[in-house]
Amino acid sequence: MNRPDSVSTRRAVLASVGTFAAGGGVVYAGSQLGSESTAEPSPSPSSDGPPVHRSSETTGFGIDLAGHPILGRTDATLDMYYWSDYQCPFCRRFETNTLPKIVENHIETGTVRLVYIQYPYLSQGSLTAAVMDRCVWRQVRDGDPARYRDWHSTVFEAQGEKGSGWASRDSLLDITRGVDGVDADAVDSCMQNDRGEIESSIATDVDRARQLGMQGSPSFVFYNRDTGSDSRLVGAQPYEQFEAKIAAVRNA
Amino acid sequence: MTDHVSRLLAAFAYPLTTVRRTFAAGLAAVGTYCLLALSTFPTYSMQLLGADMGYLDEAVVALTANIYQTTGALGLSLVVAYAVTTGVALTAAVGRARVADRTGVRGLSSVVPGLLASGCASCGAGILGLLGFAGALATLPFQGNLLRLAGLCLLLGYLSRLGDPRQCAVTPAE
Repeated sequence: MNRPDSVSTRRAVLASVGTFAAGGGVVYAGSQLGSESTAEPSPSPSSDGPPVHRSSETTGFGIDLAGHPILGRTDATLDMYYWSDYQCPFCRRFETNTLPKIVENHIETGTVRLVYIQYPYLSQGSLTAAVMDRCVWRQVRDGDPARYRDWHSTVFEAQGEKGSGWASRDSLLDITRGVDGVDADAVDSCMQNDRGEIESSIATDVDRARQLGMQGSPSFVFYNRDTGSDSRLVGAQPYEQFEAKIAAVRNA
Repeated sequence: MTDHVSRLLAAFAYPLTTVRRTFAAGLAAVGTYCLLALSTFPTYSMQLLGADMGYLDEAVVALTANIYQTTGALGLSLVVAYAVTTGVALTAAVGRARVADRTGVRGLSSVVPGLLASGCASCGAGILGLLGFAGALATLPFQGNLLRLAGLCLLLGYLSRLGDPRQCAVTPAE
């Protein structure tokens, strides 16, 4: 029987070089796509944007709004429930590419109100960030609730690699100190005193997401408060998909 | 050991023996990569492609960035390596099928289970997602990279047994 000859060996070497070149190209492109995504600054929300408010109601869809920041007018027709994880790159992609357009075209116009819900599932750092999110909201909701959006955007802008330590308590407190209007010491105190109670509340939100069949983040439910119709969207999809979903639920 | 390495090299060289085989292996590799990338977030992929197949490029690009950010350069490299190796293996499997009359069907039947087994191991992310275990990969060793590496090793193992599909392996006399 024939054994691989020198021509085959040369071809094998050529194949190996080609494989490494192609593979290296994809990995390099992946790294650049990632760095592009993390380099784009989110638009500064601050106080000029739509109102951020609190509510203690339970919606017709069964979401208990207590503890959840709500962006938009209280009488908006559509609820947009937004489950996210601060360590999730896809959530950051949504925050950077899509959310500003939704805010401009649907939340500022009073059609949609967005409810922030934590869905920490990637690592322990995700849970720490989720608990701090609740603590920040408790700290600002009565005085200057718009600051929550500033903090939320700042944390997503600071998102690092999963497991790199960027989402540790100390690191997140450092990020918090850089956000005007948020008292990092009060947040730290909340983290120490109320963590157990907050984690329990977050677990309820996570259970709810799983009951709805959500297998990743970001995940969304659009709910028409007038008609009771709802629809779901998963992942950082293009803005046009959100536009279509909002129109469909609004007209349902 | 040297025989296995020689056969592995011969298997990788086989797609380069004609332009048609090279094109077929490349196409299979690209198709496999797309499937692996899409399977890392199945519900997102299905919703987006269900709305319009024209979003395929957007979904693959977005998920490539996501794979890099969640599993690092090593994870993305493993997915690419697996896709390329699958392209080679599929081309070799077709080549073996064409000479099966002469070598017997055992050659082909030894490739198909290998592809299936390593496919399951490598796209574990998608399988786990489809089964509803959100975040399960995050709890696996090295964010699932070990699972991907296992799939790749399986596939390389099968290729090192297969060698150039046009040639019969020489079994040393006992």
